Amino acid sequence: MSAAATAPRAPGAHRDPLVAGAAFALWALLALFVVYPLAMLLARVLTDQGHFSLAGLAAVLTDRHQIRAFWNSLLLGTLVGLVGTVLGFVFAFTAARGRLPPWMLGAMDASVLLPLVSPPFTTAIAMIFSFGPRGLITYDLLGLKGVTVYGLSSTLFSEVITYFPIAYLTLRPILAGIDSNIEGMALSLGASRWRVFRTVTLPLSIPGLANAFLLLFAASLADFATPLILAGNQFPVLPTQAFLQITGMFDLRGGAALSFVLLVPALIVFLLQRYWVSRRFYVTVTGKGAGTAPFDSVSPGVRNLLLAFCLLVALAIAYFYVLLLYASLVVALGANHALTLQHYKVIFTDGVKAIRDTLIIAGLAMPLGGLYGVLLGYLVTKKEFLGRRSMELVSMINYALPGTIVGIAYLIAFNDPPIELTGTALIIVACYIFRYGPTGIRATVALLSQIDKSLEEASQGLGAGSGTTFRRITLPLILPAFFAGLGVVFIRSMTAISATIFLVSVSWTLITVKILENITELSLGPAAAFSVLVCVIVFVVIGLIGRALRYFRAPGAASVTSMLGG
Amino acid sequence: MGMDTIGVRVAGISKRYTHRVKGEIYAAREVELDVKPGEFLTLLGPSGCGKTTTLRVIAGFEHPDAGRVYFGDEDVTGKAANQRNIGFVFQNYALFPHLSIFENVAYGLRVRGQAGGEIAKAVGDVLALVGLAGYEQQFSAQLSGGEQQRVALARAIVIRPRVLLFDEPLSNLDAKLRIQMRQEIRALQRRLAITTIYVTHDQEEAMAVSDRIAVMNQGSVVQEGSALDLYHRPATDFVAKFIGRVNSIPGRVAAIGADGPAIAALGTTLVARTLPAGLATGSAVQLMIRPEAVAIVAPDTPGALAATVVSSSFLGEKTEVQLRCAGEGLHAVRYNAGPAEPLAEGATVAVCLPANALTVLPPADREAP
Ligand SMILES: Nc1ncnc2c1ncn2[C@@H]1O[C@H](COP(=O)(O)OP(=O)(O)O)[C@@H](O)[C@H]1O
Ligand SMILES: [Mg+2]
Repeated sequence: MSAAATAPRAPGAHRDPLVAGAAFALWALLALFVVYPLAMLLARVLTDQGHFSLAGLAAVLTDRHQIRAFWNSLLLGTLVGLVGTVLGFVFAFTAARGRLPPWMLGAMDASVLLPLVSPPFTTAIAMIFSFGPRGLITYDLLGLKGVTVYGLSSTLFSEVITYFPIAYLTLRPILAGIDSNIEGMALSLGASRWRVFRTVTLPLSIPGLANAFLLLFAASLADFATPLILAGNQFPVLPTQAFLQITGMFDLRGGAALSFVLLVPALIVFLLQRYWVSRRFYVTVTGKGAGTAPFDSVSPGVRNLLLAFCLLVALAIAYFYVLLLYASLVVALGANHALTLQHYKVIFTDGVKAIRDTLIIAGLAMPLGGLYGVLLGYLVTKKEFLGRRSMELVSMINYALPGTIVGIAYLIAFNDPPIELTGTALIIVACYIFRYGPTGIRATVALLSQIDKSLEEASQGLGAGSGTTFRRITLPLILPAFFAGLGVVFIRSMTAISATIFLVSVSWTLITVKILENITELSLGPAAAFSVLVCVIVFVVIGLIGRALRYFRAPGAASVTSMLGG
Repeated sequence: MGMDTIGVRVAGISKRYTHRVKGEIYAAREVELDVKPGEFLTLLGPSGCGKTTTLRVIAGFEHPDAGRVYFGDEDVTGKAANQRNIGFVFQNYALFPHLSIFENVAYGLRVRGQAGGEIAKAVGDVLALVGLAGYEQQFSAQLSGGEQQRVALARAIVIRPRVLLFDEPLSNLDAKLRIQMRQEIRALQRRLAITTIYVTHDQEEAMAVSDRIAVMNQGSVVQEGSALDLYHRPATDFVAKFIGRVNSIPGRVAAIGADGPAIAALGTTLVARTLPAGLATGSAVQLMIRPEAVAIVAPDTPGALAATVVSSSFLGEKTEVQLRCAGEGLHAVRYNAGPAEPLAEGATVAVCLPANALTVLPPADREAP
């Protein structure tokens, strides 16, 4: 290899054929699985028999029911964003300032991780069990009759429980990263604790709060599973409307138009979050943080209050999961509480195809998605090639868009020749790789940008070629990102539904779709058993990946465990 | 260590960068250096003057736009860093965070395919040499700044490099450790006799470690020489002011005599050392004199000038005195051998500016590029 090629980013450096080849291949894949489906979706919405036409869109925008769905989606997103951010902040503040013993912090992390990695419908099923017409709480405990669990408040409650962990994970490092000397300084100037909180801690957290709000808003906007079960007829939202339009009325164009309406706020929120809010952090999150607060930033009374509140929320979450497990082990929760393994028998006979299909698809998507993430992340941060900057942005599209849009786009793009993939496993695997692989990309980019250029130069200076340097220095340092990518792709492949519900077929189906079928047929027992099974598989895999990370992660390498949440 | 020591020659290297604000800039402009085998040369200059760029071109991390680099007789310009057999110590140490101290130091030897037994011995020896025996299984995150610095040094020398390159290696250490480490680096370099190029912006550090110093400014080497040369015979205003403190007095060449040029300055005529080329009778000049050469003498000393004490601060081993002499500010330093009478502010004293301490330089504005 010539001197110019190994000199990093030397002007006029020779093009490395390997880099050029890999970049070309990635661009081809992105074009096929990200750009092309989206273009086909737009074409379907904005044309009529080959001509530009807004008729399809107009049909949606003039339908009062659909307009209500649009405003409902925004309302729900805003409420989930507000309530979830407040809840996440309380948790994060308690964790960062409460001087909790390590086991309590661990318990807090665990209770928060649970909703993040659960299959969809989990909280929704538990809500029905608890607050439905025959709910344990509404009917059995309170003796209420004729209550309805369906509507805005239960959807809101369920989504907040599901998504507030995102706010917690976003805010905790920010609160921990605020130099406690700044707060100490304000205190020493005579401010009360409450005043320090109001004038120092809170203002410094504002960018983080805004970020958390937008992330939660986006998550709620995209959520399909919870409103499908809980929102009911009185509270239509866009993702479910698009789904019903396609599966119920066989109106693909109408569904596409609805998903296009969803696209606009989703894109705005994504761009705001990525290019505006996340650049306004005062606190640089180094991962080290200021550690434990050296002075009493909360009074004992407030601390106990906060702790009690967090405990209550954690207990509510735990209750949901215990209930789910219990429901899977009794004949019919609410009616007949005799213990039985019947539901598990059902899922391992009737449902075994779904289980096998899901595991095969997740097993394929996991390594491919992990590799894709590391490769693309490495190329865009370390190599020069045509379209390097735009590649990262394009790779984020399917990740940022609500699953409903991606699913409908795939359905439109790959249903007919030239590229006919409908009914294959490939279409589902590809959907997962390009939708969840970006977590690995972001982890890789984040890790690589922490690795100083001089590390690779030091290796070169000691006589190592670029191959050896990559293998012995760069690769081990980005391995955690690879594992994070593996973990997220696997977990989401086990739990996602919003995009792939459009892509399943007689030949290939998924556990999550089976759960939905069970719920619609009101066989909640098997639905609970399926959910428990997914939780168990996911936890086993998270455990294995955590183990692998600990094994491979050297002291000093960056931590990526929090990325599992994304 | 019984290897052939070779010299390094840098022949006219230039490196341009496109700067976001300043546009196209020369980070290095036709830099010439000739480092003798076993010599310790320091590149000294203010931040941004092109030291790192020059060093990285020598290492092979950057490719020069023009010029060549020779290791001995061999032209290494076209060779990548990993072909040059160099030891490089980075400012931030660049220790591999995922490898133990042992593996960090062993890295270059493993790359060279050495046998395990040899490696273990070489690493053990070199860690003992830098005073880190027993640290083999630690990781860099567990080490103090000084210890990390030693690991970086050990990793660079264990491969028996032809050339040892340092880029501001001590700038992340505290003042005390800096002084200790620079002595250790110097002693080690003497012992191993490896040709060394060292980059720093700290003039005292440069003087303490180097055989020879090349002062850089705005991408070019402006003067080369021993610390003694540079301090007492600066070739330019920039060098005089960058190395040590100096009084700069405007004047004019009055006559060129046998014992040196006579310069009209401070309302009198002072005899100085040699006149730089290109200056003749009548030329405007600057007279440079170091504060410690400004002698405060008895009032009746022949040739002494009258001066007023503006301020005087006692600092223990020395007293800093600010004087005013014929309208010009003059800074003097008196070293205190024993208790001496303090100088009262406003008092009139006599000062003497010895001819062998007076350097004539072209006026400052001729310097500007
Ligand atoms: N990679 C680069 N791109 C653009 N400009 C650079 C680059 N490296 C150095 N420079 C510029 O070149 C000049 C010299 O830099 P450098 O060699 O690092 O100086 P020093 O080490 O003496 O502080 C500076 O003005 C710096 O901004
Ligand atoms: Mg530098």
